[in-house]
Amino acid sequence: MLEARNIVKHYGAVKALVDGHLSVAAGEVVALLGANGSGKSTLGKVVTGVVSPTSGELRINGKPVTFPSPYAARKAGVTAVYQELSLVPDMSVTENIFLGHELSRGGFQLQRETMRQEAERLLDLFRPTISATPDDLILDLSPSERQIIEILKALSQQPRLLILDEATASLDSQQVDRLFELVERWKLAGMAIIVVSHRMDELFRIAERAVVLRNGATVGSALMSETSEEDLVTMMIGEAVTPQRYASEGEAGELRLSVKGLRTDLLGGIDLELRDGELLGLGGLQGQGQEALLLALFGAIPFEGEMALQGKPVSFHHPKDAMEQGVAYVPGDRGNEGLVMIRSILENLQLPSWRRYGVPISQSKAREDALEVAQDLSLKMESLDAPVSSLSGGNAQKVVIGKWLLREPKLLLLNDPTKGVDVGSKGEFYTLLNELRQKGTAILFYSSDDEELLGLCDRVLVLNGGVVTAALEGKDLNRSSLVAASMGVSEEVPA
Amino acid sequence: MTWRRFLRQNPYLFALLLLIGLIAINASIQSNFFSLRAINGNFRVLLPLMILAVGQSLVIIGGGIDLSVGAMVSLVNAILVTLIVPESGAGGVVLALLVGCSAGMLAGAFNGLCVAYLRLQPIVTTYATSFIFSGLALLILPRPGGQLPRALTRFYRSTPLEIPLGVYVIIVLLLLWALVRSSRFGQYLFATGSNADAAYTSGIPTALVKFSTYVGAGLLSAFAAFALTLGIGSGNPRIGDAMTLDSIVAVVLGGTRLSGGQGGIAGTIIGVAILGIIRSLISFANVPTWYQTLVNATIIVLALAGPGLWRLIRGRV
Amino acid sequence: MATDSGPGMTLRALKLNPALIALLLAIALFFIGGLIRPGFVNVNQAVNILRLASLLGIVAAGQTLVIISGGEGIDLSVGSVVTLGAIMAFRFSNGQNDLLILGLLAALSAGAAVGLINGLGIVYLRIPPLVMTLGMAGVVQGLVLVVTQGALQGGTPPALAGLISSNLLGIPGSVYIWLVLASFLWMTLERTPYGKQLFAIGVNREAARLSGVKVPWVVLVTYALSGLLAALGGFCLLGFTQRVFLSLGTPYLFPSIAAVVVGGTVLAGGKGSYWGTMAGALVLTLINSLLTAMQLSEAYQLMVLGITLVILISVYGRQRSVRQ
Repeated sequence: MLEARNIVKHYGAVKALVDGHLSVAAGEVVALLGANGSGKSTLGKVVTGVVSPTSGELRINGKPVTFPSPYAARKAGVTAVYQELSLVPDMSVTENIFLGHELSRGGFQLQRETMRQEAERLLDLFRPTISATPDDLILDLSPSERQIIEILKALSQQPRLLILDEATASLDSQQVDRLFELVERWKLAGMAIIVVSHRMDELFRIAERAVVLRNGATVGSALMSETSEEDLVTMMIGEAVTPQRYASEGEAGELRLSVKGLRTDLLGGIDLELRDGELLGLGGLQGQGQEALLLALFGAIPFEGEMALQGKPVSFHHPKDAMEQGVAYVPGDRGNEGLVMIRSILENLQLPSWRRYGVPISQSKAREDALEVAQDLSLKMESLDAPVSSLSGGNAQKVVIGKWLLREPKLLLLNDPTKGVDVGSKGEFYTLLNELRQKGTAILFYSSDDEELLGLCDRVLVLNGGVVTAALEGKDLNRSSLVAASMGVSEEVPA
Repeated sequence: MTWRRFLRQNPYLFALLLLIGLIAINASIQSNFFSLRAINGNFRVLLPLMILAVGQSLVIIGGGIDLSVGAMVSLVNAILVTLIVPESGAGGVVLALLVGCSAGMLAGAFNGLCVAYLRLQPIVTTYATSFIFSGLALLILPRPGGQLPRALTRFYRSTPLEIPLGVYVIIVLLLLWALVRSSRFGQYLFATGSNADAAYTSGIPTALVKFSTYVGAGLLSAFAAFALTLGIGSGNPRIGDAMTLDSIVAVVLGGTRLSGGQGGIAGTIIGVAILGIIRSLISFANVPTWYQTLVNATIIVLALAGPGLWRLIRGRV
Repeated sequence: MATDSGPGMTLRALKLNPALIALLLAIALFFIGGLIRPGFVNVNQAVNILRLASLLGIVAAGQTLVIISGGEGIDLSVGSVVTLGAIMAFRFSNGQNDLLILGLLAALSAGAAVGLINGLGIVYLRIPPLVMTLGMAGVVQGLVLVVTQGALQGGTPPALAGLISSNLLGIPGSVYIWLVLASFLWMTLERTPYGKQLFAIGVNREAARLSGVKVPWVVLVTYALSGLLAALGGFCLLGFTQRVFLSLGTPYLFPSIAAVVVGGTVLAGGKGSYWGTMAGALVLTLINSLLTAMQLSEAYQLMVLGITLVILISVYGRQRSVRQ
């Protein structure tokens, strides 16, 4: 139905795509794979008209087409559901679903009631995995519900080709199941679907064929039934990678952190203990309070309850307080929370630490220290003065963690740090975490990726509804227990 | 959360309460406050700012801001006073009004071009264009002067059906706004102001929407100039200068968010009324001349501080 | 591989440096002036322009900091604070040299106080900087009216007049003050934690906060500094005009913003330098001098100023596109 050939896209000097190919037939589900920086998102954006290609050809049912805007693509029946939300927070679910294609009489007299009823019908498709109503405002909804509204928005335009770009990233497993059920239905009705995702297991569930991009070009296409995860990863990275279990052995040291009755808007009362050298995981469905817990411990949001470091009670009112006690926070949302984009790598690395270099700042010492950290992390950069926005995802994440490593933190708080990071960099990250553990750093680690949690952590606390519903370790630390606990299905919890 | 949603859909409620309170105070001090003459007088004085602030609301809801509205008023005022002389007949007046409207729309279009299509920052850009328009006003009318036919000024003072002319204008504005709210353009306007990226990705022509808000502000500035010129009967090239800040304050007082995507013109109109009543209360209170500017300005700052203070107090309690 | 090729980067950066471009533009304007009005290009004129530019430059220093701080930062109260500073110095020094320091302190504290109020409103009451500073401009003007009530007691200390207006080695005293200020500002921006934090909050306040930066404090200090520097500008301006009147500082507001923009400081915040503003001050002063030399009426001057700034913003200040 849709065919993209020889797509090239340059952003100034950056070559995002050099030779992109993609094709999908009606009633087919194709998976689009590639590491970060492979060009898969760009290819998706070209197909949906968000970005105009430098050169190349797009055909729909054999006829060449060009899309000067997303609107043009939509009129041709091509719609995308993105991870970056295209929802207007101040408006209701109904208004958002129909945004850009409202029902009205001649431009005036919006048919609000009709739209509302249609919104209700669409919401029903996902019930009971969501509880939103047509009149709810988007800003009152959780990230997973917002993602579903995005999907419904795309659906309301009756697309012939639907592109799901990391659309499952914020959804919980029940919602993902429902989505896949719907995908099967849509397939049978003749919709062509492209799925862009990092989650291999999901791709093997719903896709028939996989197209792999690497370094801006399509390097291969394979039937899912004839390939394996390893083969696909090899195509993505260009070399064989064997999956490993990354947990390291080691002795836990003294008690570093203890928390009693920690309460915020989202958290009901958390108790936990963490020792030096321990890697404690936080699991559970998205939005159950994991991020809130980390932010509270870092002093970024207020909380009630007791917190003590090495037995001494502490009270953080601002991240600066936490920082000075050896606590560090690594966000997964690099662009918004972790990095100051247009400034240099040096400035980003030293931002928490300038005070150590005196007034006037001893520039050479600051550079020396920053360079050392950058080398320790194998940071691939042009120079310390290059803007941090020039780095790829994995390297940018190294800067985020590097700025804390400079301070040799005793307690490291990680908020889904490998989200959107490619496979190769993830491996380096896990190695780093293990090194830090050996050195005695206490680590509290939230990940939305179950495999990651299971592979790295000694112990996992599962959060549901703002409270710890399970503490898994040893032989209880396995996939099914984790998923069960995330769902709130009670199992025997070890003391 | 319906209480919150109710407040969100009717952001002018707080302003309305404040207005009622102020009217009560003013009425108790001034015995003839509710007389037709007094009300008509008040409307006459406040109408230009009301129309202007409505234009400003349009731009602000769309996510921008226009610091040149006052200068546009001066410009159109200068044009009107130059084109209309005491001997002008109906045809001449209509022509002058048309020229004024075009001037306003052209000025607004220039603003819109810069902000929406060239994507220049709205604050500094419209600040710069205000200088251009002020200069033009001075060019057309180097010194205050001019005189309008008595018939026109009398018309402005009139009260058809015992209701001040101003009330009719406000009703027309509210009706037009209701029309906008129930149209696709209205949705596009609010979406663009709330999250322009999301709006664009949804297929809304955000640049065109923003452009039209600036043209609209230009047109309404022209209308505001009409009202102003008919009110005073003459021209002054600097007459609009103080109106810009007032228009912004009125929008804020009325409950519309400066960052856009929310609000309406009912609140703005109430906001202008609030400003007007405060000013009349001050002059009634016999504040010495030297202190008047300071008191006026302080009240404006306090009015701006209102929503923030309210939020602080609510946060602590 | 992590390497640091510092010096190589600097050379390339120089070529694209907006401050340098502005400086070249200023020089070009100077000679264009000579073409339009023969006799424009002479040493006296150059010295005069330097003097005027230094006054604008001092006023624009605070504006630079405020714009770098981001969050739609702008200080529209600068014009009236300049007037306030001059008046405080006039009144408290009373025309006597031994009270000069008192006059200076009075001016600086008044300016800092206004800036602090701006900062408090912006940080704690969440009033947008545009609106807060515009409102305070009115309050300060009103304050000035109350203080002067038409006639003001005081005088300009001869030492101040001498310091600003007379020349040392052919260069006006105010230019030396300007250069000293420039080095302080460079130090502050590039070699203090405050400066680094200022740039960071200009780009991304949340990321800065999560890196331990106390954002409210940095913003407060910035606006207070802006007020203080504007008052300093007023103090120096007094030495130049040797009299005070209501609209003394008003002609400096618009050019202060323009100078910052021309100098390459990004309006959205997070990037810029004071060198750029200095070059920008030269450019703006030259434009003004050209307009005066061409004997244009006020109407044309306003229009040219406005058009010039729009052109400058088109070149330097375009914001990112939604579609690429």
